[in-house]
Amino acid sequence: MTQRKRLSNVQNSSQSKRQSNSFMTQEEDEDATFTQPSTSQVQRGLEKLTPAQVDQKTAEVVQYILVKDQKKIPVRRADLVKHVVKDYRTVYPEIIKRAMRTFEQVFGLKLVEIDSKNHMYVLVNNLDASTARPSPVERPSNPKMGLLFVILSVIFMKGGVVRENLIWNTLKKLRVDPGQRHEEFGDVRKVITDEFVRQRYLEYVRIPHTEPVEYEFRWGQRSDMEVSRAQILEFMGQLHEQDPRSWTQQYREAHSAATASSSQASSSNHR
Amino acid sequence: MVSIKKQNKTGKQCKQSDFCPRVAEWTWKPLEKLSVAFKQSLFCSRLEMRKARAGGDDEAVRQNGSSSRRRTDQHPGDGEDHDSSSGGVQDDDDDNDLGLRREIRSKYRDLINSVQQNREDMLSPSNNKLTEVLEEANKLFKDVRQAREAALDAQLLVVATDLGKEKASQLFSEGSAFDPTAFAEHLLSFMGLNRLEDEDDEPPNGCAGDGYLPKDAWHRLARRAECCFRTAPSFHYMMGSFYTEPPPPKQRIERQRKAPSKEAKRIMPTQLKKMEESHQEATEKEVERILGYLKSYYQDDPSPISYYEFVIDPNSFSRTVENIFHTSFLIRDGLARLKLDSDKLPCIEPVEEGELEAAGSFSRKQCIVSISPKIWRELIDVFEIKETIIQPPETQSE
Repeated sequence: MTQRKRLSNVQNSSQSKRQSNSFMTQEEDEDATFTQPSTSQVQRGLEKLTPAQVDQKTAEVVQYILVKDQKKIPVRRADLVKHVVKDYRTVYPEIIKRAMRTFEQVFGLKLVEIDSKNHMYVLVNNLDASTARPSPVERPSNPKMGLLFVILSVIFMKGGVVRENLIWNTLKKLRVDPGQRHEEFGDVRKVITDEFVRQRYLEYVRIPHTEPVEYEFRWGQRSDMEVSRAQILEFMGQLHEQDPRSWTQQYREAHSAATASSSQASSSNHR
Repeated sequence: MVSIKKQNKTGKQCKQSDFCPRVAEWTWKPLEKLSVAFKQSLFCSRLEMRKARAGGDDEAVRQNGSSSRRRTDQHPGDGEDHDSSSGGVQDDDDDNDLGLRREIRSKYRDLINSVQQNREDMLSPSNNKLTEVLEEANKLFKDVRQAREAALDAQLLVVATDLGKEKASQLFSEGSAFDPTAFAEHLLSFMGLNRLEDEDDEPPNGCAGDGYLPKDAWHRLARRAECCFRTAPSFHYMMGSFYTEPPPPKQRIERQRKAPSKEAKRIMPTQLKKMEESHQEATEKEVERILGYLKSYYQDDPSPISYYEFVIDPNSFSRTVENIFHTSFLIRDGLARLKLDSDKLPCIEPVEEGELEAAGSFSRKQCIVSISPKIWRELIDVFEIKETIIQPPETQSE
């Protein structure tokens, strides 16, 4: 693996210049402690370090992200730089690029920046779940995913934004009451409005001009990356015994997949 | 806001136009998001109101007479009869009528409250309550002369347009509608709800409806939903990792166990020592006794005594073995001597007092004596041993 990396490093050195250039122009730096190094700085930094050192640092970054992703809370660039990259910050873009490549080639995961303003990364499965065969390892299912699925489906079918009361009422019909302690989920309100929001599965936004204060739910940035609207619609069709196409608006939204996900992501950033 | 002030100072009525200056710029943005149809209806109603007012008060009364009620009622979208008919009340006289100002302000506040409290009601596409509220606001506005009231009017408009935006979003879904209640019902069936008839015992999670959700209901749903998610699998070591928690409790247990065991041990040794002492004493006493027998016998007859005759007790095999055992101590300690006589039979004789020290320098020879009941009986027959030399001990402490 390292040998391959060294070879590819030599081959791609010219490519890396071009790539880090585009990488640079895309993001404005908001982080006070970390300034994105310029391309020439990166090049100079790379010259000073041996390939083995850069590989080592990449491996550390990969391991850090893997462990941090256990809780599904996005990894902040500031934390990454402070705790792992440290002195190698001059070659940070190169390290991230290699880490992304490692994730893709070794683990079949994708390291995605879900928030270009605050620089947060999440790991998403690169393999297509719907066509994948059932996993050979019996993994216990997480019931919170079921809960999240219900909320996301309702939001999606209702056009992308939903008042919190609708969600609470729907959940009450499913025997999940935010006022009571649920035997599977515990403090339901906390799980939904705090945990899922911190994991960026949901957005919990205050509706302006409401008295008393009310909130609305939207899809979070992680959901935009991870969740397939088309699959949700399929499941809806199965449940209601209807053709998914009968929900024309949602169907259109789900199947203009590329444009839908990117537009959602950009619009959520502007909010 | 500034433009409104100016108009009021001059005391003129607000000019009729499609774009009412009341709808100040900062409320225009929410309106932009409304569907075109709704926007048109909103302004049409305003235009109608203005035309109606211009045309005469009677029309205005007729239009709103049906929906008007007492002011004290909290019912949405209602105002008072006499307000709409007071189309003629205007101008400078009102500026200083504090009572009227307060009235207008409180009516505005009522309208705002009604919109906020009855949101669900107003959102329902089956009625036009929102339009009625706006019409009411229109009526109130013509009496507005001061900034305070205008501010309340603007606030009402903001609230109403928010509601309007939501109402417009309800028009969003073409195709078949999505009903969350039906969705919930289908989900319950999917999760394996047992729709039992209500019996005496309450279902554990029975806040609504009947039926009993199985324990793995949410797991079932999660498994089905997995294919919709492209979650990265969580990283974990296959063999697990070191546990950090168990050791502290273990130490406590050990300490607790150690305390009683020490005490037990303390008790044990004292007992054991007593036992051992008694054993040792018994053995030593026996050995000395046998030595006494040996010496007394030797004094009577100074020739070596046949070993077999000495140790064998014809009455008891076990005592014979004990005698052999005790005799061996004598020989070990050099207090007696075993040798073979002319017949190659072993015989035993005590060692003289003076020879004791020399006995230690002799090379030690060891032999193992074994005896079985058969041999013992044979010996008794051969040597014709009738009685035992070594008397059995009086105390039978074994």
